[in-house]
Amino acid sequence: MLKYIIKRVLWMIPTLIGVLIILFCLTYMLPGDPATAMLGPRATPELVAALNTRLHLDESMPVRLGYYLFGVVKGDLGTSVWSGHKVSSLIFTALPHTVLLAICSLGMAAVIGIFMGAFGAVRQNSVISRIVTIVSLVGVAVPDFVAALLLMLLFCVKFPILPAIGAGTEDGITGIAVHLILPATALGIGWVGYLSRLTRESMVEVLDSDYIRTARAFAIPQRLIANVYALKNAIIPTITVIGLGVGKLLGGAVFVEIIFNRPGLGKLIVDAVYARDFPVVQGGILVATIFFVLANLLADISYGFVNPQIQYE
Amino acid sequence: MNTTLSKVIPGQMSLTPRWTETLSMAFKAIVKVKGGLLGAVFISIMLLCAFCAQWITPYDPNAQDIVHRFAGPGWAHLLGTDYLGRDILSRIIYGCRIAVLVAFGAVGLSSIIGVFLGVMAGYNEGEKIDYFLIWLFDIVRSFPQIILALAIVAVLGPSLVNVVMALAFTAFPFYGRIARAQTLSVKEADYIKAAEAMGQKPLTIILRHITPNIMAPVIVCLGMDMATMIIWESGLSFLGLGVRPPTASWGIMLRNGYKYIQVSPWMILWPALAIAFAMIAFSLFSEGLRVALDPKERER
Repeated sequence: MLKYIIKRVLWMIPTLIGVLIILFCLTYMLPGDPATAMLGPRATPELVAALNTRLHLDESMPVRLGYYLFGVVKGDLGTSVWSGHKVSSLIFTALPHTVLLAICSLGMAAVIGIFMGAFGAVRQNSVISRIVTIVSLVGVAVPDFVAALLLMLLFCVKFPILPAIGAGTEDGITGIAVHLILPATALGIGWVGYLSRLTRESMVEVLDSDYIRTARAFAIPQRLIANVYALKNAIIPTITVIGLGVGKLLGGAVFVEIIFNRPGLGKLIVDAVYARDFPVVQGGILVATIFFVLANLLADISYGFVNPQIQYE
Repeated sequence: MNTTLSKVIPGQMSLTPRWTETLSMAFKAIVKVKGGLLGAVFISIMLLCAFCAQWITPYDPNAQDIVHRFAGPGWAHLLGTDYLGRDILSRIIYGCRIAVLVAFGAVGLSSIIGVFLGVMAGYNEGEKIDYFLIWLFDIVRSFPQIILALAIVAVLGPSLVNVVMALAFTAFPFYGRIARAQTLSVKEADYIKAAEAMGQKPLTIILRHITPNIMAPVIVCLGMDMATMIIWESGLSFLGLGVRPPTASWGIMLRNGYKYIQVSPWMILWPALAIAFAMIAFSLFSEGLRVALDPKERER
């Protein structure tokens, strides 16, 4: 197990170097002169020359790649072409909004999903079991950005009871919480469906197993069997999927942040794409990718911890 | 090459079925699965809309009728009109075209490239090319997919072809991983050894004997991936980084609906429903595929 973890972590080094090379190539592939592309057609030759020197754009490709890799290793992600702020500080201000959104939506989805799934498995023909089926269908049918638009239409336009845009940081903790409701729901609804179905399926399987039959034979109350003996084993696959979800949500958060105008990492990246501010695009994607890779790693490792039967090569 | 092999080793023919045989077998099995038929019907409707858009739409999708803009559903315009007075129903039907093109284009491209590279890696297990391809797959898989697609389109510029290429690029490693793992289990089989003993070229072995035998899990992924591609095309178009307006795409329609969210709910509701329809179609179909191609599930 330890050997596997070390191997996985070491393998991350060449992978991340590859990621950096791809990010570098993205700006290298920009059609025409990158400085003009970033500054727009009306930039003066002096400005273009200054930017070229500042970003080392006048050097050859390997030298530029070297500068880029060296900078990233030092923790220097460059400076924004437009605002002149350090990219790392821009990301640092944006990241908490995205992390908070991801945690809230996934937390909500996990609590509701596991509860509904477990209940649906115990009472297979109950209303809740039907709701699980419907919600998981809705989760499949309505992608997060469509859900965000529909929620906005319903709760901000038709019945204006919830705030539509912003992160609510100026209103203190209640403001932040109120501004989180719709984005977190939009992002989490698909996961509620997915997690509840997953939990229900594995719970049904576990309830069918020999040790549960034995527990029943010992006349242990049904409620205790379901809540303690069965659920503990049934949520193993769910936990792993939640781990993967953290990484995936960072991608989905892009749309939700744009629609609800939340100043998170996704919005930072997309706004930088619109403005052709490539240092910010590179930095933002790099940070999102690191989160994604770490979440995948943790999910893989946690899988081994909760299920010792898994053998790693 | 199959025929020569079957002459040498009678009975081996069935182990290397042709592409078309695999597909038609799969299709027959899907239709038997609950929901699979419904998915197939829904997808057929989408394909029909995509191919026959110019004959079945009541209006030109770009014809403007400023006087009747923001109209609700009615007899003149069944689903209403948008902010330029364009018929929403016609635009939804034309939007099918983009959805189908992107779904089949991106999934086709990424699965062909991914499977080829994956089989190459698996066939040359432990060699330099194998390590290089695993490295390549892992790099691309490290990015959150939609963010990578977004960055590529930002560099290449928004257009239908670029969206397809960007989405294909983000997805091919997943097929590569599946194909590699499958190849590892298939390549030790006797019929591959026999083909090698007959002195067939590695490329022939890869294309004729390995690839047809590893397709089942790949095909299962195709259906679900098409749904994902449709979502992402809409997402990219919604951000203004996909298909260029005035092309009718569900994502662009949602983008316009978002701009005029205060004025008309229909501009969001109908494209949202269209996307939901496509998602249900492809997920029912791919669920059918999964059950149909999994012998264990079929017995249940």
